[in-house]
Amino acid sequence: MNGIFLAILGAAIATVLAGIGSAKGVGSAAQTAMGVLSEDSSMFGKMLVLTLLPGTQGLYGFIVGFLILVSSGVLNGAPEVSMAQGFAYAGASLAIGFGGLFSGIAQGKAAVSGIAMTAKDDKNFSKGMVSVTLVEIYALLSFIVSLLVVIQIPNFA
Amino acid sequence: MKNVRIIALRRDRKRLLEHLQDSALVQIRQTENSREGFSRVDLSAQTQVFERNVALTEQALKILGDLAPEKAGLLASFKGRREIDPDEIGEIAKNSGEVISVCKQILELDKTISDNELELIKIKARLANLEVWQRLDIPLNTTSTRSTAVFIGSFPEQYNDRTLRDAIAKENPALEFESEIEHSESQLTCAVIFAPISQQTMAEDALRTLGFSRPMSPTSKVPKVKTRKLREKAKALREEIDSSQAEIISLKDRRESIKATQDYFRFRADKYDVINHLDHSKHVFVIDGYIPEEDCEALRELCERVATCTVEFSDADENAPVKLKNNAFAEPAQGILTMYAAPSRTDIDPTPLLAFFFYFFFGMMFSDAGYGILMVIATGLMIKLFKPDKKMRNNLKLFQYCGISTTVWGLVFGSIFGDAPAALYNYFVNPAEPMTMAKLLPWPTLDPQKDALTLMVISIAFGLVHILVGMGCKFWVCFKQKDYAGAFFDTGLWMLLLVGIAVLAAGMVTTPVLVTVGAVIAVACAVGLVLTQGRKKKGIIGKAIGGLASLYDITSYISDLLSYSRLLALGLTTGVMAQVFNMLATMMGVNIGGFVFLIVIFLLGHLINIGLNALGAYVHTMRLQYVEMFSKFYEGGGKEFEPFSLNSKYIKIQEEK
Repeated sequence: MNGIFLAILGAAIATVLAGIGSAKGVGSAAQTAMGVLSEDSSMFGKMLVLTLLPGTQGLYGFIVGFLILVSSGVLNGAPEVSMAQGFAYAGASLAIGFGGLFSGIAQGKAAVSGIAMTAKDDKNFSKGMVSVTLVEIYALLSFIVSLLVVIQIPNFA
Repeated sequence: MKNVRIIALRRDRKRLLEHLQDSALVQIRQTENSREGFSRVDLSAQTQVFERNVALTEQALKILGDLAPEKAGLLASFKGRREIDPDEIGEIAKNSGEVISVCKQILELDKTISDNELELIKIKARLANLEVWQRLDIPLNTTSTRSTAVFIGSFPEQYNDRTLRDAIAKENPALEFESEIEHSESQLTCAVIFAPISQQTMAEDALRTLGFSRPMSPTSKVPKVKTRKLREKAKALREEIDSSQAEIISLKDRRESIKATQDYFRFRADKYDVINHLDHSKHVFVIDGYIPEEDCEALRELCERVATCTVEFSDADENAPVKLKNNAFAEPAQGILTMYAAPSRTDIDPTPLLAFFFYFFFGMMFSDAGYGILMVIATGLMIKLFKPDKKMRNNLKLFQYCGISTTVWGLVFGSIFGDAPAALYNYFVNPAEPMTMAKLLPWPTLDPQKDALTLMVISIAFGLVHILVGMGCKFWVCFKQKDYAGAFFDTGLWMLLLVGIAVLAAGMVTTPVLVTVGAVIAVACAVGLVLTQGRKKKGIIGKAIGGLASLYDITSYISDLLSYSRLLALGLTTGVMAQVFNMLATMMGVNIGGFVFLIVIFLLGHLINIGLNALGAYVHTMRLQYVEMFSKFYEGGGKEFEPFSLNSKYIKIQEEK
């Protein structure tokens, strides 16, 4: 009995949950941005930046997922994962999975407000952008926790 | 910045203002009401004429743009304004009347087009109404002949010849009539009914009960003829639309002169708007404004050359704007600073520090030598080819410097398009022992994937330096304003405390001596803070509580420092994503198909990676500056110096050298 399934489950949790967060966030931001663009298409650049901000969670989740696949050896076709390591992978993935899920949704809401603010006066753009990134720190912290653990797991017994 | 007051004779007004506008030395202060003893001149009628002309040319350009779009590349927005010779402005002024009439012509043609389009819609509706009467061979508005009453119209029922006759006969059996059905469909029957003229009212009553109604717009022509006429008219209208469009398109060569004329009127509107806000007496007028200190002499010299006037300078008041002045290294970052806020009068100009840290952190987050070199080349080419305006040029320069930093960090992290060199080597040579970047590069690299912890410590150390620099600025600002308590107690002690903790942390992994040293510094500073931070509170207890409570601020410093872990996270993201794309690209094996796949995926993947991660690096670098560093010392809220100048959209007048 080895932990391959758990390692793959971990990779899936990290990628999928964080991805859902980003998808929801980017989706709602993009909806609002298109409303603004229908009025003033010259704002495309700014709208694009604000829309993409909640997209990083999915990226972090994907990277954790990828690193799990690499370090567990799944990608080389020669996985060597003990049961304990498998559980560790699954556990590590929870941080970015749930951190990304909820921070992505929250950041999407912030991005929607940022877009509305920028639409009123595009001088507000940089303030909106910075405010939206305030949410990101929590995704980052989750990412770093997942990352630091995943890198160490091959050394576990 | 200095206040400046120019008093000049009214007869020199035009010349003086023109020169001021050309030289862009002064920001003119506009007030609502004149001071005592002076009055305003009202030139708003002229201003309006000029503004109307600007609007006219804008509309004309829009119509031209819709019908004959400008051939604009993807990169056209980088292009600078067209440069023109100073003499050419006279030419533009001379031709402006003619250009305006061209614009009017364009607008008129556009009106013809839209009128005709409206008319065509109406014709289409009438043709649809006539459609059902095509078989009728008498005019639609016929009501009677000498002996016969004629009813042409429709019933809201479907009848055929027999049912219609029955229905009418049933209403009034005494009525003598003939009927002829022209068209019939569900809920509609178009018919002609003839009755003796003597029975006209009787017939009308009978028909009315059946819901008979005459056509909405009867014509005096036979429907077929009318239809033909309408079709002819529609054709003529369409031809007129085509010819108008062709005529507008034929005017597309005038686009450049229309643009130049628009700017010309914009200049004049600006100038007259300024005159409206100047104080005039019978013989003289007064200009109040702001001027950067270094331009004072140039202004005096200019004014005395072109007008009879006096020029006085005095120290700037508190509403004075600020003009940022930086060297070539720092100037590109000015845009980042003003996006946050222009410095207030008490602030120091943090652009050089901002510039250095911006380049540094951006490079660390984007961290790929291949991408960095691409950035340097692309921005360099754009500056060379498009000759962009100053603002765009500065933006491009910003990314060029960031590109250099990105390249350096990429080499440190051993990342050139991710692990592309190693991946391609493995793909083509396929050695027994797979090549890695660490083996390929002759210098020691820091792999963010393997040494994540080290890199995190390094990131936070950089963060500490960044924050300390920010606090150093605060220290300096307080010191300059002679707020020594603020400088030493509020800022200095915290700085020392942070340094103490850093030394302590360093000591934990090196020698125990540093632990002691660090702890002593930290504790001493903490005691200092407790003793000093409550100094504005009343009573001994209030002071003690205030002092102790201030120690709680340590949490905000810790969260600030942790925030720098994004340097690691984003740096890692770029590398891993690039690696993923390289892995995908080299997946299909060494053959023709695999080779094509390699090129396509390689290009596409790295393009996506550049887009996503450059955006991330830009946004997060900005955040580190704004939230972590600026919050330590920068107040902002100043106004930027905006001189009275030739404010144009399309043309730029070359400076005489």
